[in-house]
Amino acid sequence: MSIGKNIRDFFHGAAYGAYERELRLQAAELNDLFLLLCYMEIVGLPNPATLYLLPVYPYLLEQFHQWHRRMGMDRSPLGNLPCC
Amino acid sequence: MPASLQALIQKRVLFFGGKGGVGKTTCASAMALAGSRAGKRVLLVSTDPAHSTSDIFERKIGPEPVELLPKLHGLEIDGAFESQRYVANVKEHIKGLFGPHILKESYRQIDLAASMPGAEEMALFDRIGALIRGEDDRFDLIIFDTAPTGHTLRLIRMPELMEAWIRALSRSRRAMLGIEQDDATDPVMISLSQRLEHLREFRARLLSPRLCAFVLVMVAERLPIEETARAIAQLQDAGVNIGGLVVNRILPETSPDPFLRARHEQEVVYLDEIDRRFASHLKVRVKQLPSDVHGVKTLEHLASVLVTEKALSS
Repeated sequence: MSIGKNIRDFFHGAAYGAYERELRLQAAELNDLFLLLCYMEIVGLPNPATLYLLPVYPYLLEQFHQWHRRMGMDRSPLGNLPCC
Repeated sequence: MPASLQALIQKRVLFFGGKGGVGKTTCASAMALAGSRAGKRVLLVSTDPAHSTSDIFERKIGPEPVELLPKLHGLEIDGAFESQRYVANVKEHIKGLFGPHILKESYRQIDLAASMPGAEEMALFDRIGALIRGEDDRFDLIIFDTAPTGHTLRLIRMPELMEAWIRALSRSRRAMLGIEQDDATDPVMISLSQRLEHLREFRARLLSPRLCAFVLVMVAERLPIEETARAIAQLQDAGVNIGGLVVNRILPETSPDPFLRARHEQEVVYLDEIDRRFASHLKVRVKQLPSDVHGVKTLEHLASVLVTEKALSS
């Protein structure tokens, strides 16, 4: 059982390992774009849809946290956008 | 063509618009009264920040529907109130879904975003959208007494604009989900799709000639004529159905007073111009009354003028 899993993991890694980093980077970039679109107002760009985004803010908090960590900032760089 | 707004009572949504001071509120109120007398449950909504519906009905009207007469409710939309209500709803909605830490941070973000310029206008727009979508099933006919023309045209363009925004956001979100997690149960995506659905329905109703019509109120003077022509062009460009024109406050034809006679002569020229330039639109002429309209009595007279098929126009 455990051997079967190991073999599967081996082939999975051999086949996709090289792409995974690439995909993760791309996902992160798209993530950032989406965050920017949602938080435009906070960085000073008018966004007519701000009010309609309020219900999704809590879902984005974790993403926002990941973003500022990824950018090498321990704490939220935007004073008016509290995080940690 | 019968010059009467009678047929418009069968619609679900009516807008009354026009230049400031031409009698929009009075005509919208009279039409609301006519609708309620015809058996419809009518909601008269004022969207002008400087509300004057309460002055006509001689009683206080607030941001929630108030019964003014049998089958006739009034509502004065208030941006600050709507944005507070919107925010309270959102907070209520997410309350059970997240832990206290996330909630605390989210509430801060939400309060911040809701205090941005434009939030009140958007909350107002959202409320109007909900009314037009028929969210409040107590009413058959909703009549909007709008703010002067420019403001209203913006409002009518807004569902289209918002739709484009939300669609772009959805696309961006979907592209991301496609890579990270192949999941149609993403709560952000669900929220965006729901918004999009609401906006589509709002726009579909707004642009349906069967359900919705715009009535332009004017007086027979130079500036209102020009503004009406522009409004018609822009409304038609946006795809909104024009229900008719009300030419308000026409002076009596004969008067012993030379001043009034001179005014009337000028008015005849403008009336001809109105007939010529707005030939394809239904027009109702309303005579200047000896006293201004407030209280239900005078409103009743105007209501019968608006919906009676005896041709007041030539």
